Amino acid sequence: MNKKIKQSLAIVTSAALAFGAVVASSANAAGTYTIAYQGPLSGGEASTGTDELNAVKYAAKVFMAKNKGFKINVVAVDDQGDPAVAGTVAPGVGSNKKIIGLVGPAYSGATIASLPYYKAGGLVMVSPSATRVSITDPTSPDFGGPVFHRVVGKDDLQGPALAKYATAGVTNAKVFVFDDQSSYAVPLRGYVEAGLKKVAGATLVGGDSVPNTTTDFSPTIAKIKTTGATVVIYTGYYSQGAIFIKQLRTSGSTAIFAGGDGVFNQEFPKLAGASAEGSRVTGVGGLAGISEALEADYKKQMGASSGVYSVESYDAANLLLAGIKAGKTTRAAMLKFVKAYNGKSITGNTIKFDKNGDISYGLFAGFTSKGGVLVNTGIIK
Amino acid sequence: MFAVLIDQFWSLTIAGIALGFIYVLVSLGYTMVYGVLRMINFANSEIFMWGTFGAVVSNRDLFKYTQTSEPATGLKLLVVLLTGLLFSMFIAGLTAVFVEFVAYRRLRMRGTNRLATLISAIGVSIALAEVMRLLTDSRPVGSPRVLEKIILTEVWGANVRLDTLITIIAAAVIYFILERFIKLSRMGKAIRAVSQNEDAAKLMGVNLNRVITVTFLVGGLATGAAGFFYVTVFEYTKFNIGFTMGLAAFTAAVLGGIGNIRGAFWGGLSLGLLEVYASAVLGTQWKAVTVFLVLILVLLFKPNGLFGEAVQQTRA
Repeated sequence: MNKKIKQSLAIVTSAALAFGAVVASSANAAGTYTIAYQGPLSGGEASTGTDELNAVKYAAKVFMAKNKGFKINVVAVDDQGDPAVAGTVAPGVGSNKKIIGLVGPAYSGATIASLPYYKAGGLVMVSPSATRVSITDPTSPDFGGPVFHRVVGKDDLQGPALAKYATAGVTNAKVFVFDDQSSYAVPLRGYVEAGLKKVAGATLVGGDSVPNTTTDFSPTIAKIKTTGATVVIYTGYYSQGAIFIKQLRTSGSTAIFAGGDGVFNQEFPKLAGASAEGSRVTGVGGLAGISEALEADYKKQMGASSGVYSVESYDAANLLLAGIKAGKTTRAAMLKFVKAYNGKSITGNTIKFDKNGDISYGLFAGFTSKGGVLVNTGIIK
Repeated sequence: MFAVLIDQFWSLTIAGIALGFIYVLVSLGYTMVYGVLRMINFANSEIFMWGTFGAVVSNRDLFKYTQTSEPATGLKLLVVLLTGLLFSMFIAGLTAVFVEFVAYRRLRMRGTNRLATLISAIGVSIALAEVMRLLTDSRPVGSPRVLEKIILTEVWGANVRLDTLITIIAAAVIYFILERFIKLSRMGKAIRAVSQNEDAAKLMGVNLNRVITVTFLVGGLATGAAGFFYVTVFEYTKFNIGFTMGLAAFTAAVLGGIGNIRGAFWGGLSLGLLEVYASAVLGTQWKAVTVFLVLILVLLFKPNGLFGEAVQQTRA
């Protein structure tokens, strides 16, 4: 071998080594990194977003306490849960290269509106609560691949689970299903109705579609009475659900009331009082359902109890934080890391995404309102 | 399709009338201000929302009722309800006067055009809603049940509940007191004078600023009463309930003929009934469509609303 070539090879090798060393050292290098959370932080849905953001911030706190030298900035992006607003905030997030991963968006409509900007920016998204089926359907125009992922079960899993749980123990159930006209509730109602067909003896006797600003439910209640329904399923959110159940009970109806994860909120029995007793709700357990100690620590750190989707938000944030710890500090590396991720959720389930960004599990638990609290009655099988 | 309407006609009618009376009181807030200033008080929806919180605070904090406590009875019930009503009216009246001072008076003094006031009213309205949102952490607030919802009697198969009955009777009484006040009192005459011809009224020695403040106050009191009945019937409020209620009440006012007190009455009642019937027959998703279709039809044939008089025209 020629001397010159030897020399240059040596230089290249040492350079490669040095470069490798730099890469290797950055793999565990402490530093300041930025992730973002997107969801409704003002407007009518702000409580959902605030709860999720708190869980993300909590995950970052826990991570920083465990991994000295790491500083995690959580950028809060407020889309008000509204696709129109999301379309105006997403371009900024998409082009801000400091943000290497996103927890969210919280809502499906806002997710779809944000997608073009995050696809263009190659920003990985892990949503804790966007459950619309079309986002992970490659044949749909809403398809979020390759950047979109979610750590929550889809509505086509929840719908049948809700149908089953609502009618459990009721022979020849006559079921009335209604939605709140939101992009979450209308498809879910479809999956509930499809699921009902597989419940032996159950018949769908009627339905309604009530704007989510309604407070007077007397026309819907009149329909429920005329159809003689024994089970009423609402696919909207808890605040409306609480007003409805009060009016249903004062009207003298004793039909079973059931709702999906939109109704799953401990505020529901608080708002509805005694009328909520016995209501059946599907949802995913909060942090308290995982361990009381975790909930207590959360409350101490964040100054508030954990809320809806806190488990999912915590899981989603931890996923990105694991990436940061593994040295995936660019968007491209983080996306690759998330796609290949195979780890545990705090629920004990395995988080591993299929090629469309869905997790393999989607277990919904049944909750029954007892003494003013929604009590977990176990996974719906 | 009509099975529900036939089967549940009287329950629907009673519910519609109760809802209608709440609309009547809120649309009074719009119609009074419009009558005097020829301007829509866009903040009235939030005045209503603040009124509902007045009722909740009275029940929950003043009388220490909780979700689990027993509803009040007898004399105590009367005291609790009256205090709640007065407190709601007080809060809403205060808010209305505040809105007048902040969003209207200063601009009016400087002779700005109408649109500026319109925007400042919308601004105050957003501010009022956001302040409440911050105070309540964006969460819905439930009101404890102070009034046992006893079914008093059955009329043609429909339950007549105590809360709906109280709402209907009390709202009707408040409406008639207001109507008398506008018709007969000295201040009422001044309000009507300003409404008909502002300049002439001024020349006759009417204190314009006082009349306008009182108009806002009276509108606010009616709206606050509506807030109280709303909480009594639905036991719920949230920082963003004003928008829907405001839109409905404004529609009622236009339907009846804005600027006209009798118009607010019939507009509110017909809207309440129309909403429940349309929801029952066509499905609730058709409620808004039906309401606005009827509104357009009415305006086609009676451009000033059902009871709109030619006041606007003579004034121009």
